[in-house]
Amino acid sequence: MTTLPMMPLPQERTHPFDPPPAYADLRDGERITRVATPTGLDAWLVSDYRTIREVLGDGRRFSTRAGMAAHVISGFDPNAPIGGFSQMDGPEHVRIRRNFAPQVTHARRLGEMEPMVARITDEAIDRMLASPEPFPLHREFSTAITTGVIAELIGVPPEKYHLLQDAAYTLFGTNTTPAQLQAALAPLFGYLMEQVARRRAAPGDDVLSRMIRHSADSDRPLTDEELVRMNAALLVAGFDTTASMITYGLVLLLGHRAYWETLCKDPALSAATGEELVRYLSAGVGLLRQAVEDTELHGQKIAAGDFVVVAIQAGNRDPELLPDADTFDPARRPGPHLGFGHGAHACVGQHIARMELAAVLGRLATRVPSLRLAVPLAEVDWKSDSVVRGPAELPVAWS
Amino acid sequence: MKVTADRDRCIGAGMCVLTAPAIFDQDQDEAMVILRDETPPEDARRVVEDAVNRCPSGAIQVH
Repeated sequence: MTTLPMMPLPQERTHPFDPPPAYADLRDGERITRVATPTGLDAWLVSDYRTIREVLGDGRRFSTRAGMAAHVISGFDPNAPIGGFSQMDGPEHVRIRRNFAPQVTHARRLGEMEPMVARITDEAIDRMLASPEPFPLHREFSTAITTGVIAELIGVPPEKYHLLQDAAYTLFGTNTTPAQLQAALAPLFGYLMEQVARRRAAPGDDVLSRMIRHSADSDRPLTDEELVRMNAALLVAGFDTTASMITYGLVLLLGHRAYWETLCKDPALSAATGEELVRYLSAGVGLLRQAVEDTELHGQKIAAGDFVVVAIQAGNRDPELLPDADTFDPARRPGPHLGFGHGAHACVGQHIARMELAAVLGRLATRVPSLRLAVPLAEVDWKSDSVVRGPAELPVAWS
Repeated sequence: MKVTADRDRCIGAGMCVLTAPAIFDQDQDEAMVILRDETPPEDARRVVEDAVNRCPSGAIQVH
């Protein structure tokens, strides 16, 4: 019996912004290969742009039932009962998504959120500039902003931020046990259950109240438990991934000063720069799907029940997406990249994430052009125990 | 050029509206796709194709 290669493929720490080179070899060669994953599932690894879109875009052949991360998070049992929105397929998923997505995907509603995101960003910059240097950018700035935005959207006060932060760090930690996950989620679920009751009685203008109101008019209104799970998912998924992208992106820009200076000269490039950062860095380690029928991918037979892992970062560096995909070019529109996923489970909060990235880059470039890394790039401490990649912390200075 | 939208597939992601606001809109309640212009002029083809490629659910098509 041959030993399968381990996924994730080995990262070369000297190139913290690039996918492991083995992905490109795989993408340009056999395209799809059998791997062993850290949690013990054997899976097909897909790393080219076109096939990743095929897998993520076809929920009828490739189910999300096993959860998106059971290949890397030990606390996720692929055979567990369906608890979360991310495990649902087909019409059941669409019913839930249509009830809550409009609150965070409606273009007009997003426009109304922009001043709030700008205010929270400026307040975080004020606090940073009033702090001693070096300043821990990831915890005190990136995470503070993304937590503040998602919490304000749902109406969670600052004294409860620890509930969602504990839940997210436990959820995304690769060594989390099911019991630890349960213990971290329970207080958040309990708090949200109280909030559902409170806002059913006295609705406000927050996302949770709007979901309750919207759902009440539908054929099958959302239950209290569904509302709790959806809002927990938004809160938990909504800050750590985006905070990691902000910090990871700033390491790249500040570590290669010419990029930062270009942005400072023209802060209007902030939205395009943010989009290219999401494509180029792609902070997630890959998404899991499970074949529901015997099928084929790029000529390879896939049996019903087989697991498939798509390597988003490798797909985003595929010349099929952009001819010079390995070049970071903040001036371009990076096309229909996979940084927010694809298909019915594409990131529901992606517009908010874009708004946060653009606000942070634009306001920092305008207000703190002297911002710099306070440690050499080679000494940045990278996360090693999370499925969201990026720096564990980033000391910065400005004076 | 003819554009079609399948509201049974749409998940209200909003990519079409943000990419090609002259051609696509969203309904107020569910943020689902509404076609503002089913037969846009040929010079809009690039932006419409861009919207089609960015749509995560495959709900919009250009013919």
